[in-house]
Amino acid sequence: MFDLSSRQAKIVFFAALAVIGFFLFFPLYWLVISSLKANAELYRVVPTPFPTMPSLEHFIRALTAGKLPMYLMNSLITSTCSAALVTLLALYAGFSFAKYRYFGRQPVMLFMLSAQMFPFGLLLISIYPLMSELNLLDTRPGLILSYIVFALPVSTYMLYSYFTQVPDELIDAARADGASDLRIFHTIVIPISIPPIVTVFLYSFMWSWNDLLYSMTLIVSDEKRTIGPGLLLTYLNEVNSDWGGAMAASLIASAPIVAAFMFLQRYFIQGVTAGAVK
Amino acid sequence: MAVIENNVGAYPVSPHANRGGLKAGQNRIGLLLLLPAAVAFAAVILYPFLSALGLSLFEYTVEMMEPRFIGFENFYKIASDPDVWAAFWTTAIYVVLTTTGTLVAGLGWALIMNQQFAGRAVLRSLSLLPWVLPSTVSAFIWGWIFNSRYGVLNALLMELGLIDYPQAWLSTPEGAMLAVVLTKIWLSIPLFMSFFLAGLQNLDKEQIDAARVDGAGNWAVLRDHILPHLRPVLMIVVVLGVIGNLQQFDTIYALTGGGPVRATTVLSVEVYRRAFEQWDIGFASAVGVLWVAALLPPAFLYLRMLVKGN
Repeated sequence: MFDLSSRQAKIVFFAALAVIGFFLFFPLYWLVISSLKANAELYRVVPTPFPTMPSLEHFIRALTAGKLPMYLMNSLITSTCSAALVTLLALYAGFSFAKYRYFGRQPVMLFMLSAQMFPFGLLLISIYPLMSELNLLDTRPGLILSYIVFALPVSTYMLYSYFTQVPDELIDAARADGASDLRIFHTIVIPISIPPIVTVFLYSFMWSWNDLLYSMTLIVSDEKRTIGPGLLLTYLNEVNSDWGGAMAASLIASAPIVAAFMFLQRYFIQGVTAGAVK
Repeated sequence: MAVIENNVGAYPVSPHANRGGLKAGQNRIGLLLLLPAAVAFAAVILYPFLSALGLSLFEYTVEMMEPRFIGFENFYKIASDPDVWAAFWTTAIYVVLTTTGTLVAGLGWALIMNQQFAGRAVLRSLSLLPWVLPSTVSAFIWGWIFNSRYGVLNALLMELGLIDYPQAWLSTPEGAMLAVVLTKIWLSIPLFMSFFLAGLQNLDKEQIDAARVDGAGNWAVLRDHILPHLRPVLMIVVVLGVIGNLQQFDTIYALTGGGPVRATTVLSVEVYRRAFEQWDIGFASAVGVLWVAALLPPAFLYLRMLVKGN
Protein backbone atom coordinates (compact mmCIF):
# COMPACT_ATOMS: atom_id res chain seq x y z
CA MET A 1 0.00 0.00 0.00
CA PHE A 2 2.58 2.52 1.14
CA ASP A 3 5.98 2.80 -0.47
CA LEU A 4 8.52 2.45 2.33
CA SER A 5 11.67 2.63 0.24
CA SER A 6 12.53 6.14 1.37
CA ARG A 7 14.14 6.69 4.76
CA GLN A 8 11.60 9.26 5.78
CA ALA A 9 8.63 7.02 4.98
CA LYS A 10 10.23 4.20 6.96
CA ILE A 11 10.70 6.43 10.01
CA VAL A 12 7.09 7.66 9.97
CA PHE A 13 5.71 4.15 9.46
CA PHE A 14 7.70 2.48 12.21
CA ALA A 15 7.20 5.38 14.62
CA ALA A 16 3.42 5.01 14.22
CA LEU A 17 3.76 1.24 14.59
CA ALA A 18 5.75 1.70 17.79
CA VAL A 19 3.37 4.24 19.36
CA ILE A 20 0.07 2.46 18.66
CA GLY A 21 1.68 -0.93 19.24
CA PHE A 22 2.96 0.17 22.63
CA PHE A 23 -0.48 1.45 23.60
CA LEU A 24 -2.13 -1.82 22.51
CA PHE A 25 0.36 -4.33 23.87
CA PHE A 26 2.01 -2.76 26.88
CA PRO A 27 -1.11 -3.15 29.10
CA LEU A 28 -1.28 -6.85 28.16
CA TYR A 29 2.40 -7.29 28.87
CA TRP A 30 2.00 -5.50 32.19
CA LEU A 31 -0.95 -7.73 33.10
CA VAL A 32 1.12 -10.86 32.52
CA ILE A 33 4.30 -9.80 34.27
CA SER A 34 2.45 -8.25 37.23
CA SER A 35 0.67 -11.54 37.80
CA LEU A 36 4.05 -13.27 38.02
CA LYS A 37 5.58 -10.94 40.61
CA ALA A 38 5.51 -11.83 44.27
CA ASN A 39 4.03 -9.12 46.49
CA ALA A 40 7.43 -7.91 47.69
CA GLU A 41 8.36 -7.09 44.13
CA LEU A 42 4.90 -6.01 42.98
CA TYR A 43 4.44 -3.17 45.48
CA ARG A 44 7.42 -1.03 44.60
CA VAL A 45 7.27 2.63 43.68
CA VAL A 46 9.77 2.01 40.90
CA PRO A 47 8.49 -1.17 39.25
CA THR A 48 10.81 -3.74 37.72
CA PRO A 49 10.27 -4.15 33.96
CA PHE A 50 10.05 -7.93 34.32
CA PRO A 51 9.82 -10.24 37.32
CA THR A 52 13.27 -10.87 38.80
CA MET A 53 11.88 -13.81 40.77
CA PRO A 54 8.89 -15.15 38.80
CA SER A 55 6.37 -16.67 41.14
CA LEU A 56 3.10 -18.50 40.63
CA GLU A 57 1.82 -17.72 44.12
CA HIS A 58 -1.01 -15.47 42.88
CA PHE A 59 -2.24 -18.13 40.47
CA ILE A 60 -2.09 -20.86 43.08
CA ARG A 61 -3.91 -18.72 45.62
CA ALA A 62 -6.56 -17.65 43.07
CA LEU A 63 -7.28 -21.24 42.16
CA THR A 64 -7.19 -22.75 45.62
CA ALA A 65 -7.97 -20.18 48.30
CA GLY A 66 -10.68 -18.02 46.77
CA LYS A 67 -14.01 -18.55 45.08
CA LEU A 68 -12.69 -17.99 41.57
CA PRO A 69 -13.28 -21.61 40.44
CA MET A 70 -16.90 -21.29 41.55
CA TYR A 71 -17.37 -17.99 39.70
CA LEU A 72 -15.77 -19.52 36.62
CA MET A 73 -18.11 -22.49 36.75
CA ASN A 74 -21.12 -20.18 37.14
CA SER A 75 -20.00 -18.10 34.17
CA LEU A 76 -19.44 -21.23 32.13
CA ILE A 77 -22.96 -22.50 32.86
CA THR A 78 -24.82 -19.23 32.25
CA SER A 79 -22.75 -18.24 29.20
CA THR A 80 -23.04 -21.65 27.53
CA CYS A 81 -26.77 -21.86 28.10
CA SER A 82 -27.50 -18.33 26.94
CA ALA A 83 -25.23 -18.68 23.90
CA ALA A 84 -26.97 -21.93 22.94
CA LEU A 85 -30.37 -20.30 23.41
CA VAL A 86 -29.47 -17.21 21.38
CA THR A 87 -27.94 -19.31 18.59
CA LEU A 88 -31.03 -21.49 18.37
CA LEU A 89 -33.43 -18.54 18.27
CA ALA A 90 -31.27 -16.62 15.79
CA LEU A 91 -30.93 -19.66 13.50
CA TYR A 92 -34.64 -19.98 12.80
CA ALA A 93 -35.28 -16.25 12.76
CA GLY A 94 -32.35 -15.60 10.42
CA PHE A 95 -33.50 -18.31 8.04
CA SER A 96 -37.04 -17.01 8.13
CA PHE A 97 -35.92 -13.46 7.27
CA ALA A 98 -33.61 -14.67 4.50
CA LYS A 99 -35.76 -17.19 2.67
CA TYR A 100 -39.42 -16.24 3.11
CA ARG A 101 -41.37 -13.28 1.83
CA TYR A 102 -44.22 -12.46 4.16
CA PHE A 103 -45.94 -9.23 5.00
CA GLY A 104 -43.95 -7.00 7.32
CA ARG A 105 -40.72 -8.98 7.02
CA GLN A 106 -38.37 -6.06 6.34
CA PRO A 107 -39.77 -3.68 9.01
CA VAL A 108 -39.81 -6.42 11.65
CA MET A 109 -36.22 -7.31 10.87
CA LEU A 110 -35.05 -3.71 10.99
CA PHE A 111 -36.91 -3.16 14.21
CA MET A 112 -35.30 -6.19 15.82
CA LEU A 113 -31.91 -5.02 14.66
CA SER A 114 -32.46 -1.48 15.91
CA ALA A 115 -33.13 -2.95 19.34
CA GLN A 116 -29.39 -3.44 19.57
CA MET A 117 -29.37 0.28 20.33
CA PHE A 118 -31.81 0.20 23.24
CA PRO A 119 -29.50 0.92 26.17
CA PHE A 120 -28.91 -2.27 28.17
CA GLY A 121 -29.01 -0.25 31.37
CA LEU A 122 -32.47 1.09 30.59
CA LEU A 123 -33.84 -2.37 29.74
CA LEU A 124 -32.50 -3.62 33.05
CA ILE A 125 -34.78 -1.21 34.93
CA SER A 126 -37.77 -3.19 33.69
CA ILE A 127 -36.11 -6.59 33.44
CA TYR A 128 -35.47 -6.45 37.18
CA PRO A 129 -39.15 -6.21 38.22
CA LEU A 130 -40.08 -8.66 35.45
CA MET A 131 -37.68 -11.28 36.80
CA SER A 132 -38.85 -10.53 40.31
CA GLU A 133 -42.48 -11.17 39.29
CA LEU A 134 -41.54 -14.45 37.61
CA ASN A 135 -39.56 -15.48 40.71
CA LEU A 136 -36.45 -15.59 38.53
CA LEU A 137 -34.49 -12.96 40.41
CA ASP A 138 -31.21 -14.33 41.74
CA THR A 139 -31.55 -17.50 39.64
CA ARG A 140 -29.47 -18.79 36.77
CA PRO A 141 -32.43 -19.15 34.36
CA GLY A 142 -33.27 -15.49 35.02
CA LEU A 143 -29.78 -14.36 34.13
CA ILE A 144 -29.63 -16.66 31.09
CA LEU A 145 -32.90 -15.27 29.74
CA SER A 146 -31.76 -11.70 30.37
CA TYR A 147 -28.56 -12.30 28.43
CA ILE A 148 -30.66 -12.74 25.27
CA VAL A 149 -30.78 -8.94 25.25
CA PHE A 150 -27.10 -8.57 24.41
CA ALA A 151 -26.70 -10.77 21.38
CA LEU A 152 -30.03 -11.79 19.82
CA PRO A 153 -30.41 -8.84 17.41
CA VAL A 154 -26.88 -8.96 15.97
CA SER A 155 -26.80 -12.78 15.93
CA THR A 156 -30.02 -12.87 13.94
CA TYR A 157 -28.60 -10.38 11.48
CA MET A 158 -25.32 -12.28 11.10
CA LEU A 159 -27.13 -15.53 10.30
CA TYR A 160 -29.61 -13.71 8.07
CA SER A 161 -26.82 -12.27 5.93
CA TYR A 162 -25.24 -15.71 5.67
CA PHE A 163 -28.50 -17.45 4.71
CA THR A 164 -29.23 -14.92 1.95
CA GLN A 165 -26.13 -16.34 0.22
CA VAL A 166 -27.50 -19.89 0.27
CA PRO A 167 -28.93 -20.31 -3.26
CA ASP A 168 -32.71 -20.58 -3.51
CA GLU A 169 -32.25 -23.33 -6.10
CA LEU A 170 -30.86 -25.57 -3.41
CA ILE A 171 -34.00 -25.21 -1.31
CA ASP A 172 -36.37 -25.34 -4.25
CA ALA A 173 -34.78 -28.52 -5.55
CA ALA A 174 -35.27 -30.22 -2.21
CA ARG A 175 -38.85 -28.96 -2.07
CA ALA A 176 -39.48 -30.40 -5.49
CA ASP A 177 -38.32 -33.71 -4.08
CA GLY A 178 -41.01 -33.40 -1.44
CA ALA A 179 -38.89 -32.51 1.57
CA SER A 180 -40.56 -30.31 4.18
CA ASP A 181 -39.09 -26.86 4.87
CA LEU A 182 -38.00 -27.81 8.38
CA ARG A 183 -36.31 -30.93 7.07
CA ILE A 184 -34.56 -28.94 4.35
CA PHE A 185 -33.34 -26.49 6.94
CA HIS A 186 -32.10 -29.17 9.32
CA THR A 187 -30.51 -31.57 6.86
CA ILE A 188 -29.27 -29.28 4.07
CA VAL A 189 -28.90 -25.71 5.27
CA ILE A 190 -27.57 -26.18 8.81
CA PRO A 191 -24.77 -28.60 7.81
CA ILE A 192 -23.33 -26.05 5.36
CA SER A 193 -23.65 -23.23 7.92
CA ILE A 194 -21.39 -24.48 10.68
CA PRO A 195 -18.86 -21.59 10.52
CA PRO A 196 -21.47 -18.81 10.97
CA ILE A 197 -23.26 -20.85 13.63
CA VAL A 198 -20.04 -21.23 15.60
CA THR A 199 -19.38 -17.50 15.14
CA VAL A 200 -22.77 -16.54 16.51
CA PHE A 201 -22.39 -18.94 19.42
CA LEU A 202 -19.01 -17.46 20.29
CA TYR A 203 -20.29 -13.91 19.83
CA SER A 204 -23.13 -14.36 22.29
CA PHE A 205 -20.95 -16.41 24.64
CA MET A 206 -18.49 -13.51 24.72
CA TRP A 207 -21.17 -11.00 25.66
CA SER A 208 -22.36 -13.10 28.57
CA TRP A 209 -18.89 -14.07 29.75
CA ASN A 210 -17.77 -10.43 29.76
CA ASP A 211 -20.88 -8.98 31.38
CA LEU A 212 -20.73 -7.05 34.63
CA LEU A 213 -23.91 -4.96 34.80
CA TYR A 214 -26.63 -7.61 34.50
CA SER A 215 -24.92 -10.16 36.66
CA MET A 216 -24.19 -7.75 39.48
CA THR A 217 -27.79 -6.53 39.49
CA LEU A 218 -29.79 -9.72 38.91
CA ILE A 219 -27.67 -12.08 41.03
CA VAL A 220 -27.43 -11.52 44.76
CA SER A 221 -26.19 -14.76 46.24
CA ASP A 222 -22.51 -15.53 46.07
CA GLU A 223 -22.88 -19.13 44.95
CA LYS A 224 -24.49 -18.06 41.64
CA ARG A 225 -22.24 -15.07 40.97
CA THR A 226 -20.35 -14.93 37.65
CA ILE A 227 -16.76 -13.81 37.12
CA GLY A 228 -17.45 -10.15 36.21
CA PRO A 229 -18.81 -9.04 39.59
CA GLY A 230 -16.99 -11.93 41.29
CA LEU A 231 -13.59 -10.55 40.34
CA LEU A 232 -14.58 -7.04 41.32
CA LEU A 233 -15.90 -8.04 44.74
CA THR A 234 -12.99 -10.35 45.53
CA TYR A 235 -10.03 -8.26 44.54
CA LEU A 236 -10.96 -4.60 44.69
CA ASN A 237 -13.29 -4.05 47.58
CA GLU A 238 -13.48 -1.34 50.22
CA VAL A 239 -11.04 -2.98 52.61
CA ASN A 240 -8.21 -4.27 50.46
CA SER A 241 -6.83 -4.29 46.97
CA ASP A 242 -4.99 -7.44 46.01
CA TRP A 243 -3.50 -6.39 42.69
CA GLY A 244 -1.34 -9.47 42.19
CA GLY A 245 -4.35 -11.69 42.79
CA ALA A 246 -6.45 -9.49 40.51
CA MET A 247 -3.94 -9.85 37.67
CA ALA A 248 -3.63 -13.63 38.03
CA ALA A 249 -7.40 -14.10 38.33
CA SER A 250 -7.87 -11.85 35.29
CA LEU A 251 -5.63 -14.06 33.21
CA ILE A 252 -7.43 -17.19 34.38
CA ALA A 253 -10.84 -15.65 33.65
CA SER A 254 -9.73 -14.49 30.20
CA ALA A 255 -8.08 -17.74 29.14
CA PRO A 256 -11.16 -19.65 27.89
CA ILE A 257 -12.55 -16.81 25.82
CA VAL A 258 -9.14 -15.86 24.41
CA ALA A 259 -8.42 -19.47 23.42
CA ALA A 260 -11.78 -19.86 21.68
CA PHE A 261 -11.40 -16.54 19.94
CA MET A 262 -7.88 -17.14 18.67
CA PHE A 263 -9.00 -20.44 17.24
CA LEU A 264 -12.01 -19.00 15.43
CA GLN A 265 -11.05 -15.40 14.80
CA ARG A 266 -11.23 -15.55 11.01
CA TYR A 267 -14.91 -16.58 10.97
CA PHE A 268 -15.63 -14.26 13.81
CA ILE A 269 -14.38 -11.12 12.11
CA GLN A 270 -16.12 -12.01 8.85
CA GLY A 271 -19.37 -12.44 10.77
CA VAL A 272 -19.15 -9.22 12.75
CA THR A 273 -18.13 -7.01 9.84
CA ALA A 274 -20.59 -8.68 7.44
CA GLY A 275 -23.09 -6.33 5.93
CA ALA A 276 -21.05 -3.26 6.79
CA VAL A 277 -18.43 -3.85 4.14
CA LYS A 278 -19.30 -4.72 0.59
CA MET B 1 -18.91 -22.49 -1.35
CA ALA B 2 -18.10 -25.74 -3.06
CA VAL B 3 -20.51 -27.62 -0.82
CA ILE B 4 -23.48 -25.65 -2.02
CA GLU B 5 -22.61 -26.06 -5.68
CA ASN B 6 -22.20 -29.80 -5.34
CA ASN B 7 -25.57 -30.09 -3.71
CA VAL B 8 -27.22 -28.07 -6.45
CA GLY B 9 -25.82 -30.49 -8.98
CA ALA B 10 -27.25 -33.42 -7.06
CA TYR B 11 -30.82 -32.12 -7.11
CA PRO B 12 -32.42 -31.54 -10.52
CA VAL B 13 -34.43 -28.31 -10.33
CA SER B 14 -38.04 -28.92 -11.27
CA PRO B 15 -39.55 -26.38 -13.66
CA HIS B 16 -42.46 -26.04 -11.21
CA ALA B 17 -40.26 -25.14 -8.28
CA ASN B 18 -40.78 -21.56 -7.19
CA ARG B 19 -37.97 -19.19 -6.35
CA GLY B 20 -37.53 -17.84 -2.87
CA GLY B 21 -40.68 -19.51 -1.58
CA LEU B 22 -43.65 -17.36 -2.53
CA LYS B 23 -46.47 -19.75 -1.73
CA ALA B 24 -48.73 -18.72 1.10
CA GLY B 25 -48.23 -22.04 2.87
CA GLN B 26 -44.48 -21.66 2.82
CA ASN B 27 -44.69 -18.15 4.17
CA ARG B 28 -46.71 -19.45 7.06
CA ILE B 29 -43.77 -21.74 7.83
CA GLY B 30 -41.51 -18.70 7.63
CA LEU B 31 -43.58 -16.92 10.26
CA LEU B 32 -43.54 -20.06 12.39
CA LEU B 33 -39.73 -20.16 12.27
CA LEU B 34 -39.60 -16.55 13.37
CA LEU B 35 -41.98 -17.12 16.26
CA PRO B 36 -39.58 -18.32 19.00
CA ALA B 37 -37.17 -15.43 18.45
CA ALA B 38 -40.08 -12.99 18.21
CA VAL B 39 -41.48 -14.17 21.54
CA ALA B 40 -38.08 -13.96 23.25
CA PHE B 41 -37.52 -10.55 21.71
CA ALA B 42 -40.88 -9.28 22.87
CA ALA B 43 -40.37 -10.61 26.40
CA VAL B 44 -36.86 -9.47 27.26
CA ILE B 45 -36.27 -6.56 24.90
CA LEU B 46 -39.45 -4.95 23.61
CA TYR B 47 -41.60 -5.24 26.71
CA PRO B 48 -38.88 -3.95 29.08
CA PHE B 49 -38.16 -1.12 26.68
CA LEU B 50 -41.78 0.02 26.43
CA SER B 51 -42.29 -0.53 30.13
CA ALA B 52 -39.28 1.68 30.93
CA LEU B 53 -40.64 4.36 28.60
CA GLY B 54 -43.95 4.13 30.43
CA LEU B 55 -42.38 4.21 33.90
CA SER B 56 -40.81 7.57 33.08
CA LEU B 57 -44.31 9.03 33.58
CA PHE B 58 -44.70 7.48 37.03
CA GLU B 59 -43.42 8.12 40.47
CA TYR B 60 -42.01 4.80 41.62
CA THR B 61 -39.56 4.61 44.48
CA VAL B 62 -38.50 1.93 46.91
CA GLU B 63 -41.07 2.96 49.57
CA MET B 64 -44.01 2.64 47.17
CA MET B 65 -46.01 -0.54 46.55
CA GLU B 66 -47.52 0.68 43.28
CA PRO B 67 -46.26 3.23 40.75
CA ARG B 68 -48.23 6.49 40.74
CA PHE B 69 -48.89 8.39 37.51
CA ILE B 70 -47.43 11.88 37.59
CA GLY B 71 -47.24 12.86 33.90
CA PHE B 72 -44.12 14.73 32.95
CA GLU B 73 -43.16 15.50 36.55
CA ASN B 74 -39.93 13.46 36.30
CA PHE B 75 -38.85 15.42 33.26
CA TYR B 76 -39.50 18.73 35.05
CA LYS B 77 -37.35 17.44 37.90
CA ILE B 78 -34.61 16.50 35.44
CA ALA B 79 -34.72 19.95 33.85
CA SER B 80 -33.83 21.52 37.20
CA ASP B 81 -31.41 18.81 38.31
CA PRO B 82 -27.81 19.92 37.73
CA ASP B 83 -26.54 16.36 38.33
CA VAL B 84 -28.40 14.99 35.32
CA TRP B 85 -27.24 17.86 33.14
CA ALA B 86 -23.70 17.17 34.29
CA ALA B 87 -24.14 13.51 33.33
CA PHE B 88 -25.20 14.54 29.82
CA TRP B 89 -22.20 16.81 29.53
CA THR B 90 -19.84 14.13 30.85
CA THR B 91 -21.31 11.63 28.40
CA ALA B 92 -20.78 14.03 25.50
CA ILE B 93 -17.12 14.54 26.44
CA TYR B 94 -16.62 10.81 26.91
CA VAL B 95 -18.25 9.88 23.59
CA VAL B 96 -16.38 12.51 21.59
CA LEU B 97 -12.98 11.64 23.09
CA THR B 98 -13.38 7.87 22.84
CA THR B 99 -14.82 7.89 19.32
CA THR B 100 -12.21 10.28 17.94
CA GLY B 101 -9.37 8.53 19.71
CA THR B 102 -10.41 5.08 18.53
CA LEU B 103 -10.99 6.34 15.01
CA VAL B 104 -7.49 7.78 14.70
CA ALA B 105 -5.71 4.87 16.40
CA GLY B 106 -7.88 2.20 14.77
CA LEU B 107 -7.45 3.62 11.27
CA GLY B 108 -3.72 4.10 11.82
CA TRP B 109 -3.33 0.57 13.10
CA ALA B 110 -5.37 -0.89 10.22
CA LEU B 111 -3.19 0.92 7.68
CA ILE B 112 -0.07 -0.40 9.42
CA MET B 113 -1.50 -3.93 9.57
CA ASN B 114 -2.34 -3.71 5.86
CA GLN B 115 1.32 -3.29 4.99
CA GLN B 116 3.49 -6.33 4.28
CA PHE B 117 6.19 -6.91 6.89
CA ALA B 118 7.62 -9.79 8.89
CA GLY B 119 5.51 -10.71 11.90
CA ARG B 120 2.42 -8.90 10.69
CA ALA B 121 0.08 -11.88 10.97
CA VAL B 122 1.03 -12.49 14.60
CA LEU B 123 0.68 -8.80 15.49
CA ARG B 124 -2.71 -8.68 13.80
CA SER B 125 -4.02 -11.61 15.81
CA LEU B 126 -2.62 -10.31 19.07
CA SER B 127 -4.08 -6.87 18.55
CA LEU B 128 -7.58 -8.37 18.72
CA LEU B 129 -7.05 -9.37 22.35
CA PRO B 130 -8.33 -6.23 24.14
CA TRP B 131 -11.66 -6.78 22.40
CA VAL B 132 -12.36 -10.18 23.96
CA LEU B 133 -11.20 -9.59 27.52
CA PRO B 134 -13.95 -9.39 30.17
CA SER B 135 -14.71 -5.78 31.03
CA THR B 136 -13.71 -6.26 34.65
CA VAL B 137 -10.33 -7.49 33.48
CA SER B 138 -9.79 -4.41 31.30
CA ALA B 139 -10.71 -2.23 34.24
CA PHE B 140 -8.22 -4.10 36.45
CA ILE B 141 -5.42 -3.68 33.91
CA TRP B 142 -5.91 0.06 33.56
CA GLY B 143 -6.64 0.58 37.24
CA TRP B 144 -3.29 -1.01 38.04
CA ILE B 145 -1.48 1.08 35.41
CA PHE B 146 -3.06 4.26 36.80
CA ASN B 147 -2.53 3.24 40.45
CA SER B 148 -1.35 6.24 42.46
CA ARG B 149 1.32 4.47 44.52
CA TYR B 150 2.59 1.56 42.47
CA GLY B 151 1.27 2.36 39.02
CA VAL B 152 3.61 2.04 36.07
CA LEU B 153 2.27 5.25 34.50
CA ASN B 154 3.64 7.38 37.33
CA ALA B 155 6.95 5.53 37.19
CA LEU B 156 7.23 6.02 33.42
CA LEU B 157 6.34 9.70 33.49
CA MET B 158 8.77 10.35 36.33
CA GLU B 159 11.49 8.49 34.49
CA LEU B 160 10.87 10.70 31.46
CA GLY B 161 10.93 13.78 33.69
CA LEU B 162 7.37 14.80 32.77
CA ILE B 163 6.17 14.82 36.38
CA ASP B 164 8.10 15.42 39.60
CA TYR B 165 6.11 13.24 42.00
CA PRO B 166 3.45 10.51 41.67
CA GLN B 167 -0.02 11.70 40.69
CA ALA B 168 -3.23 10.30 42.18
CA TRP B 169 -4.77 9.99 38.71
CA LEU B 170 -8.06 8.36 39.63
CA SER B 171 -8.70 10.87 42.41
CA THR B 172 -8.74 13.88 40.10
CA PRO B 173 -11.60 14.59 37.66
CA GLU B 174 -9.27 14.94 34.65
CA GLY B 175 -7.14 11.93 35.55
CA ALA B 176 -10.17 9.70 36.06
CA MET B 177 -11.67 10.82 32.75
CA LEU B 178 -8.36 10.16 31.02
CA ALA B 179 -8.28 6.64 32.49
CA VAL B 180 -11.81 5.67 31.44
CA VAL B 181 -11.33 7.18 27.98
CA LEU B 182 -8.01 5.41 27.36
CA THR B 183 -9.50 2.14 28.57
CA LYS B 184 -12.37 2.42 26.11
CA ILE B 185 -10.13 3.44 23.20
CA TRP B 186 -7.88 0.48 23.95
CA LEU B 187 -10.88 -1.85 24.00
CA SER B 188 -12.34 -0.58 20.73
CA ILE B 189 -9.25 -0.42 18.52
CA PRO B 190 -9.57 -4.10 17.48
CA LEU B 191 -13.15 -3.73 16.30
CA PHE B 192 -12.41 -0.54 14.37
CA MET B 193 -9.29 -2.11 12.89
CA SER B 194 -11.26 -5.15 11.72
CA PHE B 195 -13.78 -2.99 9.91
CA PHE B 196 -11.08 -0.90 8.24
CA LEU B 197 -9.06 -3.96 7.22
CA ALA B 198 -12.17 -5.52 5.68
CA GLY B 199 -12.72 -2.27 3.79
CA LEU B 200 -9.10 -2.15 2.61
CA GLN B 201 -9.35 -5.66 1.14
CA ASN B 202 -11.19 -4.57 -1.97
CA LEU B 203 -9.14 -1.46 -2.60
CA ASP B 204 -8.17 -1.16 -6.27
CA LYS B 205 -4.40 -1.75 -6.20
CA GLU B 206 -3.94 -1.06 -9.92
CA GLN B 207 -5.38 2.38 -9.49
CA ILE B 208 -2.82 3.09 -6.78
CA ASP B 209 0.01 1.70 -8.91
CA ALA B 210 -1.11 3.95 -11.75
CA ALA B 211 -1.12 6.96 -9.42
CA ARG B 212 2.38 6.04 -8.27
CA VAL B 213 3.59 5.97 -11.88
CA ASP B 214 2.16 9.46 -12.21
CA GLY B 215 4.38 10.49 -9.31
CA ALA B 216 1.97 10.35 -6.37
CA GLY B 217 3.68 9.97 -2.98
CA ASN B 218 2.44 8.11 0.09
CA TRP B 219 0.53 11.08 1.38
CA ALA B 220 -1.22 11.67 -1.94
CA VAL B 221 -2.16 7.98 -2.19
CA LEU B 222 -3.63 8.09 1.31
CA ARG B 223 -5.55 11.32 0.71
CA ASP B 224 -6.77 10.72 -2.84
CA HIS B 225 -7.31 6.97 -2.92
CA ILE B 226 -7.32 5.17 0.43
CA LEU B 227 -9.38 7.59 2.52
CA PRO B 228 -12.08 8.20 -0.14
CA HIS B 229 -12.34 4.44 -0.61
CA LEU B 230 -12.81 3.93 3.15
CA ARG B 231 -15.48 6.60 3.49
CA PRO B 232 -18.49 4.25 3.71
CA VAL B 233 -16.70 2.04 6.27
CA LEU B 234 -15.68 5.14 8.17
CA MET B 235 -19.32 6.21 8.46
CA ILE B 236 -20.41 2.81 9.78
CA VAL B 237 -17.53 2.69 12.24
CA VAL B 238 -18.22 6.18 13.58
CA VAL B 239 -21.91 5.46 14.04
CA LEU B 240 -21.29 2.08 15.69
CA GLY B 241 -18.60 3.68 17.84
CA VAL B 242 -20.90 6.47 19.01
CA ILE B 243 -23.67 3.99 19.82
CA GLY B 244 -21.28 1.75 21.77
CA ASN B 245 -19.63 4.60 23.63
CA LEU B 246 -22.97 6.18 24.58
CA GLN B 247 -23.85 2.86 26.21
CA GLN B 248 -20.57 2.06 27.92
CA PHE B 249 -21.02 1.11 31.56
CA ASP B 250 -18.91 -1.83 32.76
CA THR B 251 -15.39 -0.47 32.47
CA ILE B 252 -16.33 2.94 33.87
CA TYR B 253 -18.19 1.46 36.81
CA ALA B 254 -15.39 -0.99 37.61
CA LEU B 255 -12.61 1.56 37.19
CA THR B 256 -13.95 4.69 38.86
CA GLY B 257 -17.51 3.92 39.95
CA GLY B 258 -18.45 7.19 38.24
CA GLY B 259 -16.15 9.19 40.50
CA PRO B 260 -14.27 10.95 41.91
CA VAL B 261 -17.51 12.55 43.14
CA ARG B 262 -19.33 12.60 39.77
CA ALA B 263 -16.48 13.31 37.35
CA THR B 264 -17.00 10.15 35.26
CA THR B 265 -20.71 9.68 35.88
CA VAL B 266 -21.96 9.21 32.33
CA LEU B 267 -25.64 8.52 31.60
CA SER B 268 -25.32 4.75 31.97
CA VAL B 269 -23.84 5.13 35.46
CA GLU B 270 -26.38 7.81 36.37
CA VAL B 271 -29.32 5.60 35.36
CA TYR B 272 -27.83 2.64 37.20
CA ARG B 273 -27.32 4.62 40.40
CA ARG B 274 -30.77 6.18 40.36
CA ALA B 275 -32.42 2.84 39.67
CA PHE B 276 -30.40 0.35 41.69
CA GLU B 277 -28.76 2.39 44.42
CA GLN B 278 -31.46 4.97 45.16
CA TRP B 279 -34.33 2.80 43.82
CA ASP B 280 -35.96 5.81 42.20
CA ILE B 281 -37.23 3.77 39.23
CA GLY B 282 -39.46 6.45 37.72
CA PHE B 283 -36.78 9.10 37.68
CA ALA B 284 -34.17 6.64 36.36
CA SER B 285 -36.52 5.68 33.54
CA ALA B 286 -37.04 9.33 32.63
CA VAL B 287 -33.28 9.86 32.42
CA GLY B 288 -33.14 6.67 30.35
CA VAL B 289 -35.73 8.04 27.93
CA LEU B 290 -33.55 11.09 27.28
CA TRP B 291 -30.61 8.73 26.89
CA VAL B 292 -32.52 6.85 24.17
CA ALA B 293 -33.28 10.18 22.54
CA ALA B 294 -29.54 10.83 22.37
CA LEU B 295 -29.08 7.41 20.74
CA LEU B 296 -31.76 7.93 18.10
CA PRO B 297 -29.81 10.02 15.55
CA PRO B 298 -26.84 7.63 15.29
CA ALA B 299 -29.22 4.65 15.38
CA PHE B 300 -31.23 6.11 12.52
CA LEU B 301 -28.09 6.71 10.47
CA TYR B 302 -26.92 3.16 11.09
CA LEU B 303 -30.20 1.60 10.01
CA ARG B 304 -30.34 3.75 6.91
CA MET B 305 -26.87 2.60 5.93
CA LEU B 306 -27.86 -1.04 6.46
CA VAL B 307 -30.97 -0.67 4.33
CA LYS B 308 -28.95 0.98 1.59
CA GLY B 309 -26.34 -1.76 1.83
CA ASN B 310 -29.01 -4.36 1.19
